[in-house]
Amino acid sequence: MRDVVVVGGGLLGWSAAAALRRKIPALRVTVIALPPPADALAERIGSTLPSIIEFHRDLGMSDGDALLRANCSFRLGTEYDGWAGDRPSYVHAYDRYGQAIGTASFHIHWLRQARLGTPAPFDAFSPAAQLARANRFVLPDEDPASPFAHYEYGLALDPVGYPRMMRAYALHLGALERPGVPRGVTLRGEDGFIESLAMDDGGTLSADLFVDCTGPRALLRNELDQAFEDWSEWLPCDRLLFADAPPPADPSPLDRAIAHGAGWRWIAQSASRTSHGFAYASDEISDEKAVRTLRGHAGADPQAPVAIRQGRRPEPWLRNCVALGDAATMVEPLEWTNLHLAHSAIDRLVAMMPDRDCAPVELWDYNRQCAAETDRVRDFLALHYVTSGRTESLWRRLRDAAPPHSLMHTLALFRERGRLPFYEEETFGRDSWLAVLLGQGVIPAHIDPLIDVVPPADSERAMAVMRDHITRQIPALPTQAQFLGNIRRQAAR
Amino acid sequence: MAAKRVVIVGGGTAGWMTAAALAKLLPARCTVHLVESEAIGIVGVGEATLPHIRAFNERLGIDEADFMASTRATFKLGIEFVNWGRIGDSYIHPFGTFGPGGGEVDFHQFWLRLKQQGINVPDLDRFSMACTMGRMNRFALPSRDSRRLDSTFGYAYQFDATLYAPYLRAIAEGMGAKRTEGRIIAVQRDGESRDIRSVQLESGETIGGDLFVDCSGFVSLLLDKTLGEPFEDWSKWLLNDRATAMPCRTEGAVTPYTGVIAMPYGWRWRIPLQHRTGNGYVYSSQFLSDEDAATALIGAVEGEPIAEPRVLRFKAGRRRRSWVNNCVGVGLASGFLEPLESTSIYLIQAAITALLELFPQDDISPVDRDEFNRLIDLEYDRIRDFLILHYHATERTDTPYWDYCRTMEIPDSLAEKMELFRRRGRVVKYREGVFLDASWVAVYLGQRVIPEGHDLRADAPSPESLVAGMQKLAADIYGLSGAMEDHGAYLRRYCPMKDAA
Repeated sequence: MRDVVVVGGGLLGWSAAAALRRKIPALRVTVIALPPPADALAERIGSTLPSIIEFHRDLGMSDGDALLRANCSFRLGTEYDGWAGDRPSYVHAYDRYGQAIGTASFHIHWLRQARLGTPAPFDAFSPAAQLARANRFVLPDEDPASPFAHYEYGLALDPVGYPRMMRAYALHLGALERPGVPRGVTLRGEDGFIESLAMDDGGTLSADLFVDCTGPRALLRNELDQAFEDWSEWLPCDRLLFADAPPPADPSPLDRAIAHGAGWRWIAQSASRTSHGFAYASDEISDEKAVRTLRGHAGADPQAPVAIRQGRRPEPWLRNCVALGDAATMVEPLEWTNLHLAHSAIDRLVAMMPDRDCAPVELWDYNRQCAAETDRVRDFLALHYVTSGRTESLWRRLRDAAPPHSLMHTLALFRERGRLPFYEEETFGRDSWLAVLLGQGVIPAHIDPLIDVVPPADSERAMAVMRDHITRQIPALPTQAQFLGNIRRQAAR
Repeated sequence: MAAKRVVIVGGGTAGWMTAAALAKLLPARCTVHLVESEAIGIVGVGEATLPHIRAFNERLGIDEADFMASTRATFKLGIEFVNWGRIGDSYIHPFGTFGPGGGEVDFHQFWLRLKQQGINVPDLDRFSMACTMGRMNRFALPSRDSRRLDSTFGYAYQFDATLYAPYLRAIAEGMGAKRTEGRIIAVQRDGESRDIRSVQLESGETIGGDLFVDCSGFVSLLLDKTLGEPFEDWSKWLLNDRATAMPCRTEGAVTPYTGVIAMPYGWRWRIPLQHRTGNGYVYSSQFLSDEDAATALIGAVEGEPIAEPRVLRFKAGRRRRSWVNNCVGVGLASGFLEPLESTSIYLIQAAITALLELFPQDDISPVDRDEFNRLIDLEYDRIRDFLILHYHATERTDTPYWDYCRTMEIPDSLAEKMELFRRRGRVVKYREGVFLDASWVAVYLGQRVIPEGHDLRADAPSPESLVAGMQKLAADIYGLSGAMEDHGAYLRRYCPMKDAA
């Protein structure tokens, strides 16, 4: 493998180019920097999962690079409001929820206390969730004994600064930029591999591998096949609206996802903007009404509605063309997985880089892992709908529909006795599943018997101590603006 | 909610492990009643284990040194495979990593890259603490500091299984488990649900229960004989159906690893305990008679035999379901995989762990039962592929037995794994499987499945820096291992057996 052409010049194309150059310096990487289309969600959704931190580190970038050069800020989680009927909102943070007591995991104790009385909400036992609710932020404590030591955090990206930084970094690592727009694809007769791209300037561009970062239209990958697995029966939103308002003086590290009769809307504050959005089902609300709704909440004019079709390609990688980001998977931004899935695919691509022949057995393994990962993300998102307590027709329909088989398996086991099955390539860990399941009020029928050896009074005492450790420290911790200010001051020194 | 009456049918390792775990960990949820017959022998032949057993013992509050002294145990850092790829070959499948562990690119990828460039590098096992300690016959407990090289190995035990069961029995009975001696002559079932209601003993006594655990061994008294659960036969891939076992006096070293030596029609184990060495020849009766197997074993063992060779019969495979109605099979009653990779006790443990987690509260829930069966199937299927690999990845042509193994059709799931490794040393990752990457790498390379390429990320560092780093690593591992105590001396100091044989 020698020559790789990346088509797409948004943050995704440049991230792929940077990773390829950094990890496999022998590759020649050329980027055709087409501007990303409006419906490429991995490019547009500013809220990212903690996996971005590791992605940066692997590239040799630090948090400081993202914060200082690209005006990013931190995020700790998402507050879900109105998803579970009358239940209070809950926070999904990337953290431990409580600590095991004896041999039984924490949630079993919480469930037992919930039977005996009314324990504090499940997210009261997640330090990061409480930190986020208090609009405060610190990096995790290096002392593992601290309650504030075990969470992870994501970044809120600046839509202008971040792609610019990634481009500069990829070029610095030796990626080449080729101007022009591809006008056609020539396939090789004997095996159907992409032989070359015909460019609008009359030139042609050939390569051993083509990486398609052109968004849902998948300019290259669609030339090979258009197979698509549709998820709309579980994930109903087919329209997105975006409205950006100015950033607040002190951006909250807690995003909000607020359920609506026809979908849900978000508020995500960052150092660069306040991102408002509305994901909805077009058969439940008209575009005009949706625009009015979002304008009312955002105090800013939404951009034109973007149509999306949720689902994934069965084979993101076929022959010598691999689709990344929205070219491979389109999913609503609930839980902010768009860029995460793309990063994960880049890591996988780099780790599994085959020879020029792109042997089917190697592509099979790549596609198998992508499918496993993406399907579990689908399950996690569908979980929010299938367990909702809302009564509008859209929500009732989703609650009554049979979920995907793997989600049904998870729900059956959890509802029986609070167990969570293991799945390969899972994006969200057990605590994340628990945060949403318990936050939405899914309560198992039985309590795991392993807890019997700890008397309930002991659980209660241990839980009180955990809460105390969390609440006592929070008032002394800085807000995000204070924390970012400290970092900038240190960097300036 | 009333405590469930659990009836365990069969003593032995599976029965007493189950009894001890239930009695200790679910004291309020169940009563434990074990039925065993001294007239029926137990299969235990000197048992080699996997590191997982330490977690099991720990949960039961077992003190390691006391347990080792009582079962005359030795430490086990891995398994040495001799004569598998070709006659004369030897490699160790270690418990632990190759290289320092961690890092986004597996260590063996850098090693492969240098080899493929024609650069001379030491054998891969020089980069494994467990392999190096094993070859040098040294032992020390691993460090708990994951930054240290001497934290990169794990260990298990080799012990006398006929002593492990009584050891666990004392724990179980101490926690209130009841034991009844007697042979079961009949099983009563509910007319409607077909659940098992009770077992009837020769003495006339009837023992009723809510949940029955079948630990009756190959007989599979409940799962097979009573409930008729079909058996999935894997003998087309795993031919061996007999073993002849015979302990002998130890003449060679008390090695901190199990020996597994390929033979013309199967393989032979060597399990050094404190007081003797366990031996056995696992073979296929299609190719070898019991008499010839016994003769071959007697000729091969290192010291004076302590007993006559004893023949065991089995078939590779598993019951389609391990939990049927209100009956859970644990151990040989639910399936059998030959002890090539010491998985017998591991599979017992996996079933017990799943049973503890899915222990019924009111009526048995089909969701829990299905999940139990799914988990057990996963364990069996993955071990199955790993075992088949040992037979298939061979260049031996000396007998029709090896000709068959070398050329047989293998499961697709294994064929894909092998092809991926052949291309660029990739190991298909299965987090929940018992054998992790290093295990697969050890067997592939040890049995001459040599990749054509490598992970391209391994090309990033310069060859000079890689070679220097590897030389230092091998030297550090050698130094750390060499500074450790001799395995035999460690045993004599740490856990000398309680009474000499």
